[in-house]
Amino acid sequence: MGYFEKALLAAAVIGALSGLVGAVVVLRRRTFFAQALTHATFPGAVAATIVGVSIPLGAALASILIVGIMTLIGRVKRQGSQVASGILLTAGFALGVLLQALNPSLPVQVDSYLVGSILTVTTGDLALAVGVLGVALAVIVLLGKEILFSTFDPSGFRAAGFREWPIELLTLALITATVVTAMPAVGAILAIALIAAPAAAARLVMRTTAQILVAAPLLGAAAGLIGVLLSRAIDVAAGPAIALTAAAFFLLALGGRRLLRARLRLRS
Amino acid sequence: MIENPSQVRPSAPLALKVAGASFSYGQKPALADIDFEVHAGEAVALIGPNGSGKSTLLKGILGLIQRVGGTVEVLGSYPAPVGSIGYVPQADEIDQQFPVTLEQVVMMGRYRSLGWLRLPGKRDRQAVAHALEAVGLAHRAKTRFGELSGGQQQRGLLARAVASGPRLLLLDEPFNGLDQQNRDALVGTVNRLKAEGVAVVVSTHDLQLAREVCEQVLLLNGTQVAFGPRNSVLVLENVQRTFREVGVEIDEHTVVVPGHTGH
Repeated sequence: MGYFEKALLAAAVIGALSGLVGAVVVLRRRTFFAQALTHATFPGAVAATIVGVSIPLGAALASILIVGIMTLIGRVKRQGSQVASGILLTAGFALGVLLQALNPSLPVQVDSYLVGSILTVTTGDLALAVGVLGVALAVIVLLGKEILFSTFDPSGFRAAGFREWPIELLTLALITATVVTAMPAVGAILAIALIAAPAAAARLVMRTTAQILVAAPLLGAAAGLIGVLLSRAIDVAAGPAIALTAAAFFLLALGGRRLLRARLRLRS
Repeated sequence: MIENPSQVRPSAPLALKVAGASFSYGQKPALADIDFEVHAGEAVALIGPNGSGKSTLLKGILGLIQRVGGTVEVLGSYPAPVGSIGYVPQADEIDQQFPVTLEQVVMMGRYRSLGWLRLPGKRDRQAVAHALEAVGLAHRAKTRFGELSGGQQQRGLLARAVASGPRLLLLDEPFNGLDQQNRDALVGTVNRLKAEGVAVVVSTHDLQLAREVCEQVLLLNGTQVAFGPRNSVLVLENVQRTFREVGVEIDEHTVVVPGHTGH
């Protein structure tokens, strides 16, 4: 497989994963949390480069650390988590820049951690993405009903005798794994576009959660493929092309919904 | 309108026993010294002003908030047996934009007995259809929950509780903002469940509802003011002690609590 075919495949798989987990993020209203997490992976990746270990491993460790700190600050709930996410988003980013400045002789371009570099993804990155996508699919098929119930009506869920924390922990783990996996392709800063935009677009035009869970990964994969093809056709960086394609899907969905509503209003 | 016989049935098994129970939110005590019991097929109305602890008591029975003293037993055991309690929250606590159909919401009532990892089967779908039939919403099964009227949403949440096959049903202000049609449908369903042996605890501002559905009344005002058969508890002195801040009028048939009688 050539580097370009590999990039296309990686973009499709990572796009599908981001769309699928993004649907859970959007439905559970955890977009800001996910964004903070994407920024937290940046110092983890820089530190991993300095120490000389695998970058996804560094990003994952940093994410777990950040989720732990967020849990302590905000107990990862409602109001408190917004504050915790906001603080850690900027702190994570600042720490990454600081680490980078302290080590000017790093062997790789640290920029690629911020906006991604899908044309240089390794077979290992690709295998990780396929693996995480498989796990995410299994979790959503097997535990979809509990995730749905706890997201729709948390107090009703607890009143029915369920515990909330296994679902909370599981969705946090899925979001973390997705952010870490998406980083090589679209980078720490742009990952949130691929996670939030296809899911938010699907949320706008679909009526049921099942439809959203099908449409969001398809849109995510399409954003990945179109972004990579665009980047070759008009010679721009792939990460931003993917992020902008995902954003365009969201705007199209928004416009489409407005048109549909206006037409319904005219008819009635 | 159906008047319920005000009889107490001591022969029916005990569904809920609350003895000397106190509840708190974190460090803050919320409700103290609650003593009452409900038998199968019987209903208790929780009546009190806003902030008197009605919702707190329901959440305390469910174990959603901390109990700091006393005991709460459902069907003789604590914690309550799995799936024994059906809870109907206020519909306005629910996310109106969430993409989920009425049918899916009612199916959630089956999840606990289904258990983790398993998908609903034929029996579950039958139970859901039956529950929707019971509240008169079978024709709205595929409608998105947020597109239903407030009253229909409330009935939908009742259907979710019915689908779980509870022995004890807890309703939190189910009649707020309901029109007559929705109100009658809800009263009819609750009375049918009682006839099937389900015990009911319902918090309400609506004294008329207490008359239509409940044999027993518990008056609350941060603490327990009175508990017992409806007619002996709903007397002027008790109601005045419960609604200290607001004027109360009472005669043989009605208690008028300004700001609390309307829907």
